[in-house]
Amino acid sequence: MWKNYFKISLRNLRKRKLYTAINLLGLTIALVSFIAISLYIHHEWNYDRMVTDFDRIYKINQEFVSNGESELVGSSPALLPVTLREEFTEVDKATLVFDWSIFSSVMIDAGQGNQEESKFAFVDEYFYDVFDFEMIAGNRETVLSEPNQIVLTESTANRLFGSAINAEGKSLKVDGKDYLVTGVMQDFPSNSHMEFDFLASFKTHPDSRGPQWSPSNYYNYVKMKPGADMSQFKSNMDQMVDKYLGSDMDEYGFHTAFFTQPLTSIHLGDPTLNSIKPGTEIKYLYVFGVVAILLIAIGMINYVNLATAEATERNKEVGLRKIMGAGRMQLFGQFVSESMLLSFAAILLSILLLYLSAIPFENFVGAPLNLELLFSPLGMVGLLGLGLVVGLLAGFYPSMILSQMQPLKALGNKLKIGGGAWVRKSLVVFQFFVSMGLLISTFVVKNQLEFMQEVNLGYEKEQVVALNYHHNMREAIPTLRDEMVRSGAAISISRAADMPHHVKAGYKIFSGGDNTREFMITGYAADPDLIKTINLELLEGQNYSESDPARRSLEDENAQMPILLNESAITEMGWTAKEAIGKRVNIGFTNNALVKGVVKDFYFNSLHQKVGPMVIFNDPDEANILLIKLSAGNPTANLATIGEVWKKLVPDRPFNPKFLDQEYANLYQSEQNVSLIFSLFSGIAVFIALMGLFGLVSYVALRRTREISIRKVLGATQRDVLLVLSMDFVKLLGISAILAIGFGIWFSGSWLEAFANRTVLTIWPFATAILMVMVLAILTIGYRSWKVFRLNPATTLKSE
Amino acid sequence: MIQLKNLDKFIESRFQRVFILKGINLTINEGEFITLMGPSGAGKSTLLNILGLLDEDYEGEYSFGDRSLKSMKERERSGLHKSEFGYIFQAYHLIDELTVYENIETPLLYRNVPSSERKSIIANLMDRFNMVAKKDLFPAQLSGGQQQLVGIARAVAGRPRVLLADEPTGNLHSGQAKEIMEIFQELHREGTTIIQATHARENADFGTRLINMLDGKIERDEAI
Repeated sequence: MWKNYFKISLRNLRKRKLYTAINLLGLTIALVSFIAISLYIHHEWNYDRMVTDFDRIYKINQEFVSNGESELVGSSPALLPVTLREEFTEVDKATLVFDWSIFSSVMIDAGQGNQEESKFAFVDEYFYDVFDFEMIAGNRETVLSEPNQIVLTESTANRLFGSAINAEGKSLKVDGKDYLVTGVMQDFPSNSHMEFDFLASFKTHPDSRGPQWSPSNYYNYVKMKPGADMSQFKSNMDQMVDKYLGSDMDEYGFHTAFFTQPLTSIHLGDPTLNSIKPGTEIKYLYVFGVVAILLIAIGMINYVNLATAEATERNKEVGLRKIMGAGRMQLFGQFVSESMLLSFAAILLSILLLYLSAIPFENFVGAPLNLELLFSPLGMVGLLGLGLVVGLLAGFYPSMILSQMQPLKALGNKLKIGGGAWVRKSLVVFQFFVSMGLLISTFVVKNQLEFMQEVNLGYEKEQVVALNYHHNMREAIPTLRDEMVRSGAAISISRAADMPHHVKAGYKIFSGGDNTREFMITGYAADPDLIKTINLELLEGQNYSESDPARRSLEDENAQMPILLNESAITEMGWTAKEAIGKRVNIGFTNNALVKGVVKDFYFNSLHQKVGPMVIFNDPDEANILLIKLSAGNPTANLATIGEVWKKLVPDRPFNPKFLDQEYANLYQSEQNVSLIFSLFSGIAVFIALMGLFGLVSYVALRRTREISIRKVLGATQRDVLLVLSMDFVKLLGISAILAIGFGIWFSGSWLEAFANRTVLTIWPFATAILMVMVLAILTIGYRSWKVFRLNPATTLKSE
Repeated sequence: MIQLKNLDKFIESRFQRVFILKGINLTINEGEFITLMGPSGAGKSTLLNILGLLDEDYEGEYSFGDRSLKSMKERERSGLHKSEFGYIFQAYHLIDELTVYENIETPLLYRNVPSSERKSIIANLMDRFNMVAKKDLFPAQLSGGQQQLVGIARAVAGRPRVLLADEPTGNLHSGQAKEIMEIFQELHREGTTIIQATHARENADFGTRLINMLDGKIERDEAI
């Protein structure tokens, strides 16, 4: 029976080549997207689940409360894991990871000279007790138990020493210090939240000697004993805080607490908690999941629409089969087997396509596409299920319609499928609603991205490069500056705590001096050249100068020190720019800060946040970054000149200039990814929907060939024919457009909410998206109507 | 075997009922070969469709054997339809996508006949109708007479007790028509009850009973 069904299905599919092609292509493209998104979601969802007993492992985060403001950080102090190990019976193991890259990169010399490396961490000797990554060489019990030991990952060992076996027992220099390679471990999997090339023993680092309850610079993890009571553990930690930090908290007027975060929720958890790797926002996973399902739906709708449209053509066959004794279920089975055949063919094709497109896709999305997963038992079951669900869902409605036909009417060809048309129209509306909605969303996202790139930030990021600065370069700075400027490649050079779009250091303004308000303020430590280098606008007063005292040189907390405030800060204090000059304020480290100038507000953070109060003060020793404004002209040549000066004067420091505008763009990496993925998927949605439209119009054109020929004989022009054929569809698209506008307004409202600084919503994203789809649809219909119009009425009318 | 009592079939139009069949009383015994004759619109096809359970929209009584159709459940009726009736059409109505072999096989599939038995039934029929060489051809590759032979083979494959034929020779020239009629006669001799509707008087000579219809009524009913 089934063999017979499939044979007939195959012949039917072959006979209706156009419909089959449209259905197959549409479904395949939808399935490729669906499977790729599923694999991506699977990858993200299974973060850190490769670690044995992952469900017993937790990261310990810390909360600070002061002045009623609570701050959560993803790191905690070095003494914490020691205390947990010694005093907590419910804790099985505890380990510390000190991610060095948050401070600086390191220079590694494995015999071929200094190379800059950034994925470097210090971990204690308990690391492998908690994270049982596989060792390729070395004994995991002892590899990190002594100072100056280091473990490389496999690919790092291959890169530096040719092979893992070769690497073991070799020595290498880290920032000039000798380390012994005691082991080689597997690479961290792509879906581990850890990402290091080098793990050095924490005992090497001075912080390991006499660990303290401050600072909280370390990622600490515990592995609990099976069945441990986590709420009991939390209250035990609270008691520990009271015991060891109680007096400090009383003295300094703050409160702190530790809390656990399951290992598996680090990647998808609270994005504000710092971690080794940036996480993925879980809401985007949901959005992608929904988009994947919508794409499949659009592909299936093509099938439903074409199959029901075609149903009238198959009346005779259905009628005959009924007369010969076919039951409804038997006919249903036959038609469903047709859609099943198509759905499984599409799955096979999409697997093939995925293999072909894996590499571009991986580059595009920035996550690995683990296609081998498709052939695991889970993947096979998933694909089988997907094929069955898609086949059944797509085939259900057309099969129902077809198997319901009354045989006599069917045979007599008297049947018009009225109900089908209504459903078909709604489905077309839905398809184009989704396509237009996705396209509008894409344009909204793009608009905001463009806005963020082009908005006047209040400083100049073009032609500015940033280089890592280390305080041991202090002596070289004056010469470096002079040489660079004299070379003609640079205009100005400034030492600063961070890049201007990423200033985070929190300070507090206390009441005192001429000011009575208390509030939090962001502090930007930089030398006097900052103003010139990034072209900040001084509204009033003057810049501080080299000769003014710097923070490090202050004698005591009463020492006078000039500062600059931004507009938000003086507004907070209730002053105008003019009034502010010469006022004295208390900024914590000195109560005698003299307001020397007022700068115009500039965006020193992501545009997700509003510009808050800021103080700029002279503290070159706090600097981590050297900002260099290049001269006008070819930046590559200028960079080369600067590089030469650099290598001459500070040969042991890495020269890896980063352009400020690119770094700024990277702030919106996640939005950019969303925008890219949205463009891709909305394009796919539009394409599949248009293919379906083409099929439907072809069908309508075929049915109305006679009518059109008569109209032509009566003198209709091609435009009239286009109008006749497109009117119905244009009405449907109009309904889609109205729905899509509603969706677009909702979407832009909720998506743009995340940005404190956002573009004004204009009509353009809506107009562009809808117009684009409309034009493409009319072109599609136009092509079809042109083909019908060209037919010679004499032949078409005769054959009827 | 079949008994119709006071059977009406009508269409409600806006102002009046239009009767297609009116007051039909008819008894058909097993083994008869009946010819329905009459002009177009006399109600021959409608009567055939009602007899063949293809049309259930009528008033009056239809009994098959000793049971009234109205008293049967849907499932019983479709069982009866499957096991007792075979159909032959003027326009052959073969399924274009299926080969000769598969067309004949289709009713057997719907009757869940096992594969080996199917093969032997079809082999016998092909042999009988001299179509062995054509078994893998599609209907479009056959002449009209050949297509109708396939239609008959398909109709009798399920071994129905009643064969219903609506203008079986209407699209054929006289030579082919005679051949079809001879096959009918042979089937009749083997015990099959045959009811055919036709315009051609000469076809009636092959049968045992001639019913003349006019305007939805039986005008004359005579044995031949």
